[in-house]
Amino acid sequence: MTEATRADRVWGVVTAHAEALGVPVSLRSLCQAAAARLPVSAVAVSIRSGRVVSEVLCASGSLSRELEELQLTVGEGPSLQVLVGGPSVLVGDLDCAEQQARWPLFVPAAVQAGARALFALPLRVGVIRVGVFILYADHPGQLPAEELAEAWVFAEFARRLVLDEQAGIGTPEGYPVDWLSDSRPEVHQATGMISVQLGVGIAEAFSRLRARAFTEGRPLSTVAAEVVARRRRFDPDHTAREGV
Amino acid sequence: MADDRLTRTFVELADTLVAGFDVVEFLHMLVDRCMELLAVSAAGLLLGDSHDQLQVMASSAENIHLLELFQLQNHDGPCLDCYLTGEPISHPDLSVAADRWPMFAPAATESGFRTVHAVPMRLRSQVIGALNLFHTEANALAPEVTQIGQALADVATIGLIQERALHHQHVLVDQLQTALDSRVIIEQAKGIIAERHGIDPGAAFTLMRVYARTHGQRLTEFAAAVIDGSTTTTKFFPSAPAATPGE
Repeated sequence: MTEATRADRVWGVVTAHAEALGVPVSLRSLCQAAAARLPVSAVAVSIRSGRVVSEVLCASGSLSRELEELQLTVGEGPSLQVLVGGPSVLVGDLDCAEQQARWPLFVPAAVQAGARALFALPLRVGVIRVGVFILYADHPGQLPAEELAEAWVFAEFARRLVLDEQAGIGTPEGYPVDWLSDSRPEVHQATGMISVQLGVGIAEAFSRLRARAFTEGRPLSTVAAEVVARRRRFDPDHTAREGV
Repeated sequence: MADDRLTRTFVELADTLVAGFDVVEFLHMLVDRCMELLAVSAAGLLLGDSHDQLQVMASSAENIHLLELFQLQNHDGPCLDCYLTGEPISHPDLSVAADRWPMFAPAATESGFRTVHAVPMRLRSQVIGALNLFHTEANALAPEVTQIGQALADVATIGLIQERALHHQHVLVDQLQTALDSRVIIEQAKGIIAERHGIDPGAAFTLMRVYARTHGQRLTEFAAAVIDGSTTTTKFFPSAPAATPGE
C-alpha cells in the first residue's frame, strides 16, 4: 500500500519509543510503547514455557507484572484462559458480579490493585499457542475499534519477537519486511510437512523452519515454498548436526 | 443463469449459518458456488487483517500462481483498490492494464486471466475484504454477474460476523482475527496430511473437507485434531499411500 498502513504507524511508535530510550526494539520496549500509545495503564506479555503454564516475559509496569503473577498464584485469570487456547478476552468493566463469578480469586485482587478493564489477545500461529498480550486499564470502558485494531498490531509484533527469541533469531534491526510472509499459506503448509518429516510437534517445526530461513538469509516464504514443492526436506540427523 | 439454482444456493448458504458452523468451510463453499453460478475461471475471497493486509481466506484452487495473484494485490490490483475505496472494481482486459496495476496486471495476464472483478465485503461503513473473480476471456463479466457476486460477498460478510456475533458484538477486528487464525490451522493440517500421504496440499484439503462433511465435524476442529495427533488420518484416508518415514 502506498499510504501509511496501521502496521507502519504502530511500527513507527515502537521504533520511536526504543530510540528515545536509546535501546534496540525489544519486548520490553514494545510493551512500554503500547502502554504509552493506547488508553491503558500497563501491558504485559506472558508465554507458556515447557510444562509451566505461564511465564511473564515482560511487563511495562509494576501493575501488569503483579497481575500476571497473581494469575499464576491463584491459577485463574484472563491470561491463563488465553494461554490454554481460549479466544481473546475483552473485559470493559472488571469490577462487577459477572467477572467476579468468572474469576473469584483473580478479580477482587486485580480490582484492589487498581485494574478496571483488561484486554487479553492471544499470540497464536494456527494451533501454536505462543503467548498472550494483555493490556490493563485503570478505568472502565472497552477499547474503541481503532485502538483495539492497533492493540492487535502491537500483539502481532510481540508475537514475532517471542517467536524470534524461541527460534534463536536476533532482534530485527529495521522494519521486519518479511513479517508479512509469516501468514502466507505455504509457510503453514510447510510447517505441517516439516513436523511429519522431523517427527516433532508443530511449534517445534515452525521454529526450525524460521531458524533455517534466518540462517540462510532467505525469506521464510521462499524456503517454505521449496518444502511444499518437495524440493527440500528437513532431515532429523542433518538438522541435529546443524544444531538449530 | 437459472434462477432456481441461484435461489437454491442462497438457501443452502443460509442453512449453513447455524450455530457452530465452520467459517473456513463456509467461505470455501461460497467460492465454489461463485465458480458454478457465475461461470468464472477462478475466484478467491480475501480478508483484511489488523494491519490492513489482504489475506486469502478461500480460493477456488490451490494453484500457487493463483495464490500469488491474490497476495500480489497487497502492492497493487483490483482487490486493493476495492478494499481501499469500498467500491467494486473491474477491468475487461488485463493485457492492457499494466499502467494501472504494474505488478498485478502482467502477472495475471501471464497466468492466463483477462477479465478481473473485485467486489467489496462491506459491513456498514467498514470494508473487511473483497471477493475476487477472474475470467480467462476478455470482456467476460456481465452486469448481472457482478450483482450476484455482490450478493455472494454480502453473504460471506454475514457469515464472518455471525460466527462470533453472540459473544463479541462490538469487535469486528477480533472476529476477523479469529477467522484468519482458523485458516492457518487448516494450512498446518494440510501440510501434515500432504506429507503423511504423499499428496499435494490441494488434494489434502479436498480429503479434509470430505471427511469433515461426511462425519459432521467442523473443518477447523478436524484440522486441530489432525495436528495434535488425536486423529490418525491413515484410518480415514485408507486409499492414500502412506508416506514412508523420512530418512
